[in-house]
Amino acid sequence: MSLALEAEGLVRRYGDRAAVDGLDLAVEAGELYGLVGPDGAGKTTTMRMLAGLLPPDAGAVRLDGEALTIGAGAARAAIGYMPQQYSLYGDLTIDENLAFFGRLFGLPRKARAERTDRLLQITRLGRFRDRRADALSGGMYKKLALACALLHQPKVLLLDEPSNGVDPVSRRELWDLLYAFVEDGMAVVLATPYMDEAARCHRVGLLNEGKLLAEGPPAELVRRFRHPTVRLTVDDRDAAEICLAPLDEVLAVSPEGAALRVVARAGADLDALVPGAEVEPVDAEFEDVFLALLRDPDSVEARP
Amino acid sequence: MRPALIRTAALAVKELAHIRRDPQMLAFALLLPVVLLLLFGYAISFDLDHIPLAVVDRDQTADSRALARRMTAGDLFVPVADAPSAEAAVPLLRRDVARAALVIDDDYTRALRRGEPAPVQLLVDGADNSTAAVAMGYASAIAIGRVEVPGGLPYAVRSRALFNPALRSTIFIIPGLMALILVIIAVMLTALTVAREYERGSMEQLFATPTRRVEIILGKLAPYFVLGLVQVLLVLTAGVTLFDLPVRGSLLLLFGVASLFLLAMLGQGLLISVVTRSQMLASQVAVITTLLPALLLSGFIFPIEHMPLPLRVLANVFPASHLVEALRAILLRGNGPAAVAADCGAIAAFFAVMLALSIKRFQRVVGA
Repeated sequence: MSLALEAEGLVRRYGDRAAVDGLDLAVEAGELYGLVGPDGAGKTTTMRMLAGLLPPDAGAVRLDGEALTIGAGAARAAIGYMPQQYSLYGDLTIDENLAFFGRLFGLPRKARAERTDRLLQITRLGRFRDRRADALSGGMYKKLALACALLHQPKVLLLDEPSNGVDPVSRRELWDLLYAFVEDGMAVVLATPYMDEAARCHRVGLLNEGKLLAEGPPAELVRRFRHPTVRLTVDDRDAAEICLAPLDEVLAVSPEGAALRVVARAGADLDALVPGAEVEPVDAEFEDVFLALLRDPDSVEARP
Repeated sequence: MRPALIRTAALAVKELAHIRRDPQMLAFALLLPVVLLLLFGYAISFDLDHIPLAVVDRDQTADSRALARRMTAGDLFVPVADAPSAEAAVPLLRRDVARAALVIDDDYTRALRRGEPAPVQLLVDGADNSTAAVAMGYASAIAIGRVEVPGGLPYAVRSRALFNPALRSTIFIIPGLMALILVIIAVMLTALTVAREYERGSMEQLFATPTRRVEIILGKLAPYFVLGLVQVLLVLTAGVTLFDLPVRGSLLLLFGVASLFLLAMLGQGLLISVVTRSQMLASQVAVITTLLPALLLSGFIFPIEHMPLPLRVLANVFPASHLVEALRAILLRGNGPAAVAADCGAIAAFFAVMLALSIKRFQRVVGA
């Protein structure tokens, strides 16, 4: 497989603060890459630089080996971009929005009509063609935005938090669509704060404070995780969480039903820290890895 | 068609759809000119007439009565009261029964016969100084022109207003009104339309397409340019049919000048829009930078020549004054292209500056 999108040493500063700080990234054709991180990690800034909408202070983005610059009209045809916030025209109908973006990408009338029909069919928006975008539900709106970003059949699709404000059913549909396009050879970069979404990507980059903490297929990151994870059952779950969270040897605490999931450094004596708790070792999950990485950047062993 | 043209056209079509679906905006754009025209044309008039006049005729002769009749013969003065003395007339002015009082001295006829200046006094209500000034001017004109002096006057003053013989203010106002309407519509609507793209996030999506900046600008502004020309036509038609506005010069030239002015205004709106990126702020800035110059510094109502130097300079920078000047030249004086070339040059310079600044500021970058 060939590299579709490549970023090298991307830096973007706002004042003294670096929103993105030396980010390297490479995505192949037919790959679904997840850029995962908490709010404020630098995901949107990264996505905008990848889309050529924001010039990096340092570093470069290459699209099919060609440097991407601001205003490079020809390169735009290879990129599909779906911003995080609402960015379509609410007072235009589904059809009008699609026709508008189709014309901007220079699609001939016939191709535009065919692709619009096909996209509306697979997004199941066909029945609502004459409905105005601002009258669509969150999920329908995102599917329309996705259709607008896909209309010109880009090689690289950039999605900034696509499932924000989308109901679970529409979310699953959205993912089914993405897998279908990736299978056809499209490279997809998706920014998300949700760990369950990240776990569905082929490969993820864990982003925090503008830096990639770790990168790899989600299952492999879990395999390379070096800290033990336990399930801690205790009478007062919330009190135990408050007590454990600030400790140095505790890397992650998250509620799981009536119990707590805790990632601690090897050798930490949880029995002593929370007297009377029932401690049961469990397999680490992707979320545990991510949370632990925020506290200890060396939580994942280097690739063998 | 070339892709650039297709994209520009797509933007213009989309903008038309926005306009169509925003009935309030469309109503604002089409009704405002009509409302302003009717308001300025009918209600607000700078022409004075029917000034209530008190007459104090202490002479009580055929000559004195003839003078009083001449004063009230036109529409300007209407006799409302007689008073025995000047002192008695003052309360009438104070109570606003009369705005002026004609006081004819008891020596009037005798002085006339002797060939001496005949003493006539006009008391005016200085609290309303525009009425006062006009009343005094008219009164002296009536007196000088008509009073027969034995042996004749050494000279006679005869003034005649060219191009607008009746000195009707409506005719004088319509060119200014056109400037006012165009600045409101063109600047306000453009400022809002581009700011709206930023505000609702669609600018980011636009930048992610191959569309170039100039295409975005042209496509978005074209519908407003056409709308502006429709308004020129609207005001012109209403002016001609309702207020007998003369069109002495070339219509083609008039629309040429109006088009140039529209471009300048669209440029100003664009600049406001790309700088503020917010509809709220854009509309405020638009009001301050367009309405004020168009109302106060365009020569629309207040003559620019009588302003202090800094204001005169400012008035010349804003294109509204040049449009008003050029429209009056074309409509009223029937002048040709040579007479409006300088004004057109000034408008074009303003447009060039606005466009250059806008393009410099309007970068295809989001989140910077």
